[in-house]
Amino acid sequence: MAAIDQSAVRRRVREFIGETFLVGNEKDKLNDSDSFMQHGIVDSTGILELATFIESEYSLTIEDNEMVPDNLDSIDNLAGFVARKLG
Amino acid sequence: MLCNSAAVCPEQTAAIHLERKITYRELLAATARLGDFLTSLGYPPGSRVAVLFENSIEYIISFFAVFKAGYVAVPIDTSLNPEKICFILADCQAEILLFHTRYERQLGRILAQNPPIKWIISDKPLHLKPNGIATATFHDFLGQPEDYAAARNSIVNLPSDGSLQYDLKKESIAAPHELAAIFYTSGSTGSSKGVMLSHRNLISNTIATVEYLKLSPRDRVMVILPFYYIYGNSLLLTHILAGGTLVIDNRFMYPEVVLDTMEKEKVTGFSGVPSNFMILLNNSTLTARELKDLRYFTQAGGAMAPEVVRRLMNAFPQKEIYIMYGQTEAAPRVSFLPPEHLKEKLGSIGIPVTGVKIRVVDDNGTEVPVGKDGELAVAGDNVMLGYWNQPDEQREVLRNGWLHTGDLARMDEDGYFYIVGRRKEIIKAGGNRVSAKEVEECILENDKVAEATVFGVKDDILVEAIKAVIVLKTGATADQKEIQNFCKTRLADYKVPKYVEFAESLPKYQSGKVNKLLLMGKSS
Repeated sequence: MAAIDQSAVRRRVREFIGETFLVGNEKDKLNDSDSFMQHGIVDSTGILELATFIESEYSLTIEDNEMVPDNLDSIDNLAGFVARKLG
Repeated sequence: MLCNSAAVCPEQTAAIHLERKITYRELLAATARLGDFLTSLGYPPGSRVAVLFENSIEYIISFFAVFKAGYVAVPIDTSLNPEKICFILADCQAEILLFHTRYERQLGRILAQNPPIKWIISDKPLHLKPNGIATATFHDFLGQPEDYAAARNSIVNLPSDGSLQYDLKKESIAAPHELAAIFYTSGSTGSSKGVMLSHRNLISNTIATVEYLKLSPRDRVMVILPFYYIYGNSLLLTHILAGGTLVIDNRFMYPEVVLDTMEKEKVTGFSGVPSNFMILLNNSTLTARELKDLRYFTQAGGAMAPEVVRRLMNAFPQKEIYIMYGQTEAAPRVSFLPPEHLKEKLGSIGIPVTGVKIRVVDDNGTEVPVGKDGELAVAGDNVMLGYWNQPDEQREVLRNGWLHTGDLARMDEDGYFYIVGRRKEIIKAGGNRVSAKEVEECILENDKVAEATVFGVKDDILVEAIKAVIVLKTGATADQKEIQNFCKTRLADYKVPKYVEFAESLPKYQSGKVNKLLLMGKSS
């Protein structure tokens, strides 16, 4: 199986974050390494929405103990997490 | 209360926030320094000081420093947009703003609307240079955060023999009716209002809460609720009063991180609103953890469905679970359900806390018989002074010495109270009165449902119809018909939702309460 293209994951996640949590051109100002938590982009309800999106988009399951910042708290972290889960 | 705890247990840790800690001695010293600086600004007693900080050691210093200076604290909801923040600043005429630079992105927009602010005191230097506004930083009089300890030498020596320990009950009685703080409500059932709480309101209610929770210096509470929210404020005051420790972690969006903190810091108590518990029960490893140091859970901030309480009880049969009820207008604690009676009184909000009286009354204010529904009314030293600048709204809820809560309730023969619903959340569906809460609790008994909220929507035939918005558990599927059929087996036909919608999540306020107004607006 070909390794997942992390750049494609970054693009798709950025699109989802922009549509769901940001207004105006905030999506363009968001860096791939920016912490969602530090920047107040996603709250405790939003993170569940984000997790559901990742599960649905990439046909994977996120276990409860995987709901941690290292896996989910930035576009970079999400891309790496998806790659590890599918890799 | 801070002075008292600093005298009794000066080296005890007052607060922990990630890698930072502060003792009671250091906290008192820092508070005194900031308080002296605020006093030196020369404002008259009772001047309002807005506090815009996330939960942090600096928030605690700020809050108590305002009291030290004889001013009035106005904690600001950090999730509000700049326009709403400016409304609050203008409404309470705050000229001093204690400010966390984390929110500097919004400061330009706040100041563009010309709030009355003359001073901004921030944790770190601002990048923005506001015209006509003086600025200072915590560093100017406290040194670097790592070195607040340097301020310790500036305080008066505290005798170690406990001779400064106050008789707290006497202090409560002696505490003045003077305004201490204004807490702006979220306006979840109407417009935002500034609730005026006096020193006596806060001290009496804090003492009552410490009493029934049996708090002591050994207690360490997990703080995920914002301090600007009255329930979060109660955690702050009760643990400072008791000489306990506040363990602050603002990362609840990742519940595993908070659970790890709870284990690492050996917390003895966890306090949450219903949505916090549902996230923990549905989307975390909470029930797989022993949490051996945890003594109790407390739950307030809205009714938690009995089914969810049962799940918590089953997961932690040895831990005390306190179901509590209150309102910002009541400082906030009105009642609690003693854990030893939780099973037999499941669904109840319990009995009045010390110093509080509760009655169930009709529209004329007359007490109704046991078992009959009416409005919950509260009296005691905890009842607010009123609403800031809103005398009409104040007159509507404060009548003849009683606070009319707007909640419908009844009392059983044992003196335990049960909330039936919000007056404003009674849906008149086809001429029948339906409690949104009753329908929500029914839907939550369905194993597929994680969260549910119910409200009335305009309907051509029924005038008002019942709508439910539901979040299913991960992996579950259901449709409107299935939910309606489920409700039909448990409720009268007229209480079954006409409309059922499914959502990935429910919009919430920062406090965790569901934002029904937003959903109702989308549905109109």
